[in-house]
Amino acid sequence: MTIHNLNPAPSSNDDALSALVDGELDDGEAKAALKAVLGNARDRDTYREYCLVGDALRGYHHDTPNLTDRVMSALEREPTLLAPMPARSPRRPALWLAAATVAAITWGLWSAVPREETLAPLAANQPPPAGEAGNIMPYLAAHQDFAQAVVAPSEMRITRVSLAGADQ
Amino acid sequence: MSDREIDLQLVERVRNGDKQAFGLLVDKYRRKLLRLLSRMVRDPDEIEDIAQETFIKAYRALPQFRGDAAFYTWLYRIGVNTAKNYLATRGRAMPTVSDQAMNDDDEPDERLMAKDIGTPESELLSKQVALAVNEAVEALPEELRQAITLREIEGMSYEEIADYMACPIGTVRSRIFRAREAIAAKLRPILGTSEDRRW
Repeated sequence: MTIHNLNPAPSSNDDALSALVDGELDDGEAKAALKAVLGNARDRDTYREYCLVGDALRGYHHDTPNLTDRVMSALEREPTLLAPMPARSPRRPALWLAAATVAAITWGLWSAVPREETLAPLAANQPPPAGEAGNIMPYLAAHQDFAQAVVAPSEMRITRVSLAGADQ
Repeated sequence: MSDREIDLQLVERVRNGDKQAFGLLVDKYRRKLLRLLSRMVRDPDEIEDIAQETFIKAYRALPQFRGDAAFYTWLYRIGVNTAKNYLATRGRAMPTVSDQAMNDDDEPDERLMAKDIGTPESELLSKQVALAVNEAVEALPEELRQAITLREIEGMSYEEIADYMACPIGTVRSRIFRAREAIAAKLRPILGTSEDRRW
């Protein structure tokens, strides 16, 4: 890898490469710049040079410039990777968030609004209207005998039944 | 697209069969990795061998890289393990590297590590580079010097620099680009003398 054979005159694309090194391009620009770096030797050298300038400023002076060539030569003996990264859906978290919000609101409304099932027992505990009480009394009086038959087992009639031929 | 996302893009390209993209990652991180390894291994030839092995191991393990951590954090762990194994097979212990620096799950803090170890030649070249960079930065107009310093040394975003310098983001981008070009022009004669020289 050499960096001294670069064209010293900067091109208009070098400005974009500088911003690429800083991670300051939007997605479309960054993809285009990366494509240029990977497809154009001059842009690739410029990109390398800008990385080097940054490292030099941060004090990373220790370097082996031919290390990249050594690694790339060694990689020629390695199989080419074909393991695409699983697709990342940026909308998925938003969908989960929306679903969770809707569920929370629904649950809140369901809890807050009184429903018929919960009102029914309360209504049953209320004393019947005076008119209804007057109408039901004859009905209860007429069925009182049946009510005693159930609650008083001593009065239940027991009939012994024998099956013909059961002793055979 | 952030720096981390750019690395992820490059990783994705490598995983789709583009080996050249891995070369960019090597160019981007080799100095950082060499600096790390130089704190664990003394011999410069061994450092280079371990660095090369680290990158090859990283390439082979790339299908397992999920992008949960930054690429360099992942590479850092591979580098440390490779160096440890290298030293263990030779019955040597790691030199003074603090546990705090080695076990950090986030961006490793190399400031916590021991002092640089290098050959006299590499130290001389390092001094030449440092001198050239200092001279280049000193020679920059004030607004360019401030912009490149805030970006490269302080790690500020273009937006933060624009706020600080009270100028549009486009101006910041232009100033940083011009500063980079000026510094690169000063470094070219030194770095171009021999591509095999370590600096």
